[in-house]
Amino acid sequence: METMALKKDLNETDARVYEVGYLLLPTIPEEDIPRIYSGLKDLLEGLQAEIISDEVPKLVSLAYTMNKSILNVRHKFSTAYFSWTKFAVDAEEVLALKKKLDLEPNILRFLITKTVRENTLAAKRFAGRDRIRPRSRAEEGAPPAPINKEEIDKEIDAMVAA
Amino acid sequence: MRQDYFSANNIKHIDYKDVEILKKFLNPNGKIMNHRRTGVTAGNQRKLAAAVKRARFLGLLPFVAK
Repeated sequence: METMALKKDLNETDARVYEVGYLLLPTIPEEDIPRIYSGLKDLLEGLQAEIISDEVPKLVSLAYTMNKSILNVRHKFSTAYFSWTKFAVDAEEVLALKKKLDLEPNILRFLITKTVRENTLAAKRFAGRDRIRPRSRAEEGAPPAPINKEEIDKEIDAMVAA
Repeated sequence: MRQDYFSANNIKHIDYKDVEILKKFLNPNGKIMNHRRTGVTAGNQRKLAAAVKRARFLGLLPFVAK
């Protein structure tokens, strides 16, 4: 009985970490993007999701053209607003999220993936490391050896004399 | 033997959004390089392939590059 209760407790707190990456239609005016972005975050919060990290939508050029049928007319898009949100939620709620995102008219495409709580973007970490590098070089070169002019003159004279 | 790129740079999770890193492992046609060419471990090669396929789906990388 105890193990059953323990399992139940574990399941109740067993929120898994997911990430949703999505492309918003480029036809949306830029001033409406923050509203749609916060709307999607509200949708996640409505499913009792804990938002871990996210990024604001950015206009990116797509590697290939994508099609989407809007009101029975097929449209081609070569740019889109790309954004992602990392969140922790109960595994059962993910299917509900997928169904809601499927009906979202502003989304061109989306992808829900399982991930980890830690930051997985390596490029940003490298950028930080690169920034440190020149500073350490400058520090190495900072204390130059004191030059004794008289000694150098003597050495030059000796070489000329030889 | 060449060292695994991801272990060398302490990358534990290969993210599909890290397009600049993923591009290192694509040939000029946009195909994923063989593990013998990339020199990464079998496990990381599988994670790399999954990340590239996710990036392709979201239009961050091409399926076929000319």
